[in-house]
Amino acid sequence: MTRVALDLLGGDHAPESVVDGALLVLDQQPDVEVVLVGPVELAERLLAERGATGRCRLVEATQVVEMDEDPARAIRAKRDATVRVAARLVRDGEADAVVSVGSTGAALAAAVFTLGRLRGVSRPPLAAVVPSKSGPLVFLDVGASVDATPELLAQFALAGAAFATVRLGLPAPRVGLLSIGEEPGKGDELRKAAYDALAALPVDFVGNVEGRDVPHGGRADVVVTDGFTGNVLAKGLEGAATMLSEVLVASLAEVPERDALLPLLAAATDHMSPEVLGGAVLLGVKGVVVVGHGASTPQGVASCVRTAVQAVREGLVDRIGGALGDLLDRTRAAAVPAPEEVPT
Amino acid sequence: MTPDQVLAVVQAAVATVLERAPSTVTRETRFKQDLQADSLALVEIVEIVEEELAPLARPGFHIEDEDLDGLTTVGQAVDYAVERL
Repeated sequence: MTRVALDLLGGDHAPESVVDGALLVLDQQPDVEVVLVGPVELAERLLAERGATGRCRLVEATQVVEMDEDPARAIRAKRDATVRVAARLVRDGEADAVVSVGSTGAALAAAVFTLGRLRGVSRPPLAAVVPSKSGPLVFLDVGASVDATPELLAQFALAGAAFATVRLGLPAPRVGLLSIGEEPGKGDELRKAAYDALAALPVDFVGNVEGRDVPHGGRADVVVTDGFTGNVLAKGLEGAATMLSEVLVASLAEVPERDALLPLLAAATDHMSPEVLGGAVLLGVKGVVVVGHGASTPQGVASCVRTAVQAVREGLVDRIGGALGDLLDRTRAAAVPAPEEVPT
Repeated sequence: MTPDQVLAVVQAAVATVLERAPSTVTRETRFKQDLQADSLALVEIVEIVEEELAPLARPGFHIEDEDLDGLTTVGQAVDYAVERL
């Protein structure tokens, strides 16, 4: 049984969408236990309204981090915040993973304060496995750290490579740096400095890649950028996919074969939908933490839970720690400038 | 605890959070300008320092959130903690 602590109050459509998402998972995966973390009375009422009393374990937490609060200070001040209590359950062995579709900053702060970070990761990035024409690739950071340094991007490259090794089964994933041109001199000062930092790492650095290389794939298995740029590109791609899907559906309105074509269209576009992709994994913390869109529907919440379950079952944290440790050791052995670290 | 002992605790917390060698952190080191510590890093450092010092401090030892903005250097943080231990 895999136990997922689900933030009841996180998200634009919480708590209803969270409860509905939990029930979607339970309908399909009886070997999953969902722990709803929030006001127990509220959770009980919502479950009862859905004829689902007793289907989820309930853990009391009464505070929520609002979107306009400083996440770090709010998490420090609100010890009973839902996402912090959820992280505490993982730390104390009462759950295996945390899922939240609430504030990304709050989830990051709760994870860092409560679970701690793996060696070599001063700021955990959010990594998404995104579909491309050439197959899935790892794209990070999609929103955890909006301000980055070259050293931080180098850490993301190592963490992303370790994630690709574990999740995609690639022993030597190709790592690219997102920029506005392929040549090394392209980009702003951060990108130029980061290029040199990534080139010095013991990974297969393929140089700069561009935004189109994320949906097209083929050039890199891991695409690295800062959380600001990553979030902008991720949401831009999602918006483009949604728009394309809607335009195509509308264009089929008068087509006689419409009913036969719509399922094919849905199958082609669903795999690009954030509702299906299943959120992003916070890499480099000592526990499985999955963060989804604030606007997640029940299907989106369910996808995030499934992502968390997969991460737990594949032993993601331990394997990332091992792969990352190996890369750090090789970095040190090569005696090249690397993400600053101290022995732990 | 002596100021030097508290300094060692702060140095260790900074080293853990920002992945830096403790020896590079001195009383004069500025959290934001020299260490590029943002809000998350500062609060994480505070939480670690509180946890480390709590067993050795008076009951209720706590670094007030409203005081954080005034603690710009490691030395200021050390002096603040020593006063309240």
